[in-house]
Amino acid sequence: MLEPVELKDFFIVFFSGAMVIMAGALYALLFAWSRLQSKPWMMTLAYLSYIVLFISVMALGSAAHLTGFWWWLVITMLIGYLLAPHGIWKLCEATHIDEVPNKVQPTLPPS
Amino acid sequence: MSFEHLNGGQQLAIKYYTVAIGLFVAQILFGLLSGMQYLIPNFMLGLLDFNVTRTVHINAMIIWLLYGFIGSVYWLLEEESQTKIVGLKLGNIAFWVFTIAVAIVVVVFLVVQSGPGDDATRWFINEGREYIEAPRWADIGIVICILVFFYNVAATFSKGQWSGIAGVLTLDLVALAGLYLAGMFYTTNISMDQYWWWWVIHLWVEATWEVLVGCLMAWGLMKTLGVSRKIVTTWLYIEVALMFGSGILGLGHHYFWIGTPEYWLTIGGFFSALEPIPLVAMVVHAVYDSGVKHSKANNHPAFAWLIAHAFGNFFGAGVWGFMHTLPQINLYTHGTQWSASHGHLAFFGAYATIIIAMMYIAAQYARGQSVFDGNLPDGGWKWKWSLGLLNLGVVGMTVALLISGYEQSFIERAVGGSTWYGYFAAQTHPWFVEGMWWRMVFGFVTAAGIVLLVWDLLTIGKSRKAKETLETSAQTA
Amino acid sequence: MNDNIPWWSSETFWKKTAIWVTGFMFVVLVVLTLDTLPKISVGSERVPAYSVINKHIDYVFNDERNIQVPVIGENAPLFGKMLTEEEAEALVTHGKKITQGRNCMGCHTLLGNGSYFAPDLTKAWLDPAWSSEPEREQYMIDFLMNPEENARSFGSGRVMPDLNITEKEAKAVIAFLKWMSSIDTNGFPYNFTVLDREE
Repeated sequence: MLEPVELKDFFIVFFSGAMVIMAGALYALLFAWSRLQSKPWMMTLAYLSYIVLFISVMALGSAAHLTGFWWWLVITMLIGYLLAPHGIWKLCEATHIDEVPNKVQPTLPPS
Repeated sequence: MSFEHLNGGQQLAIKYYTVAIGLFVAQILFGLLSGMQYLIPNFMLGLLDFNVTRTVHINAMIIWLLYGFIGSVYWLLEEESQTKIVGLKLGNIAFWVFTIAVAIVVVVFLVVQSGPGDDATRWFINEGREYIEAPRWADIGIVICILVFFYNVAATFSKGQWSGIAGVLTLDLVALAGLYLAGMFYTTNISMDQYWWWWVIHLWVEATWEVLVGCLMAWGLMKTLGVSRKIVTTWLYIEVALMFGSGILGLGHHYFWIGTPEYWLTIGGFFSALEPIPLVAMVVHAVYDSGVKHSKANNHPAFAWLIAHAFGNFFGAGVWGFMHTLPQINLYTHGTQWSASHGHLAFFGAYATIIIAMMYIAAQYARGQSVFDGNLPDGGWKWKWSLGLLNLGVVGMTVALLISGYEQSFIERAVGGSTWYGYFAAQTHPWFVEGMWWRMVFGFVTAAGIVLLVWDLLTIGKSRKAKETLETSAQTA
Repeated sequence: MNDNIPWWSSETFWKKTAIWVTGFMFVVLVVLTLDTLPKISVGSERVPAYSVINKHIDYVFNDERNIQVPVIGENAPLFGKMLTEEEAEALVTHGKKITQGRNCMGCHTLLGNGSYFAPDLTKAWLDPAWSSEPEREQYMIDFLMNPEENARSFGSGRVMPDLNITEKEAKAVIAFLKWMSSIDTNGFPYNFTVLDREE
């Protein structure tokens, strides 16, 4: 059963919907960048983005009345987005193993 | 200009690209006319009504993108298969049949426009279903031409050698041709009609086309950045798994309101939430790649358009799609300017961009240049400005349409209850009207961009003498 | 060289995954389609038989589903003539073919799909623009046959072009619109005001 969005929540719904994707991408971007450049401080920014994502999903969930099944969707999204960049990063490293691995960590000498 | 140094597939590709660009220009011209009709309601009334200009606008787009895809695949075919194309003559015949058929359909759309409510109208004038308005005879022609194309691709790879890209591409073309059949029958039951209609539209645009451009992207990355084949192939498979994994059942988000059972709300909502995952994967991998790959791109315009593709796909399909994909929201946005906003950015961002990139790669080899870099004689101002104007124009239109759509979902849908009165109350609201004016302004920006693009594609690299260090790949076959 | 790459990131693993995922999702889609098709066939609960045009059609809020749903009422034959199932099907079919032949979707949306230059037609039969139930049929015929003079543009200046629709064709189109308004669309359009039910 759907519970339509209330008029006063209209902007919140669209804005948070956009922010979910934007913050999700920013989290992924900063995460990857931090790993790539070995800059741990950037990881803080990445997790800050995740917090923005978390807030956006929550705002979307409450404004769009995501209850019941839809609440599980919200939880899945939050966990999925948290873990996805980790998994994808591992995948990146693993698929590039054969290709001059030292470039990722420029400080190490070539093996 | 002589194209004798190009292989057969590449020469055929140039033909496809030429028609593609012509139709791209037509798309924008008719888009301008349609946009104008929002501002001046009587503009060309009775001569070229909105349903005519808009139909040409969207059909020219579908067909030019198809031409662009076919051309791009023919471009890489001989190189990828390491052998001569099998049915060059057949391919040429199919090209001319396809092109003449397209010309006839466009003339009939413009001159005859509509017909009585009988089967002959659907067979020879207009099918009257959005995006696949082409009459039935032309549908059959399209399928035959696609089959010839498919034969050329599959048989050439079979004769030469298969690769991961070749395999994905060939299977994808089977799906692409097969899905088109789902739109080729008549039924009075409009729910059934739209159920299958979405198989064509969604499973083309949000699934098989995405995979097709994934193949082009993989090939383009090898060409412009020199990424290893093994890596692009693995990532192509990853993208296929993620894209089809979320996109096939993502079809559900079109089955919210057309008479289909309520469980589609759940399925559509769930898989829509998954659809951003392949995009996140692309973001992470792009960062990784750019960090690992220190090699410079040898074709700046092509590389810039590939970047535009990555961002356009992310924003157009990802952000703009997700904003209104949950049924709780879509109830208000379905069938408003939201869809137009999303459509403009997604089609341009995901598809037009990568075809333009492929055209630049083709232009580089066709003109015998080893690089298109910062040392272009005129500083490359034409490609830079056309890139800027086209992207600014489309993004501007998208934002303007978004503002109109937001107002529309509020005034017409939520408050006005979607009655005719509510509809027109929204259409006359200052936000809506101003949004439409801005859309027009950015429409002209886009049009300026295409003029420059055509000029640039016709001239880039022409004044410079072909370097002797031509990449061997340009001369194979 | 390949030995360095763990199995879960190898080319072959992802090739197989891509094939299996695609195949699985496609099979699920086929199964869902087989379930959905009977539910959207003409004569089903969600998509009524064409003879529904003999009945009064309403769009009423349903507390249980929390949306508006079509409600089929007592006899109210279209243009005062009760039709058999075959006659109704022939009439609605003619109407649907006219909407395709005149490319109505080039301006309007049907079930929300199409273009956005003119109002949605999903519940056009029930729209208050037709003044009242007794006047509705004649107003719709007049509008379709001569849309420029009988324009309902509500101050927008936008008019429907004259598509040379005959009276016979207009009636067929109206039959199609009436039938379409009886389809259960999960509450789309939302918050719709039905003709003669304005408060």
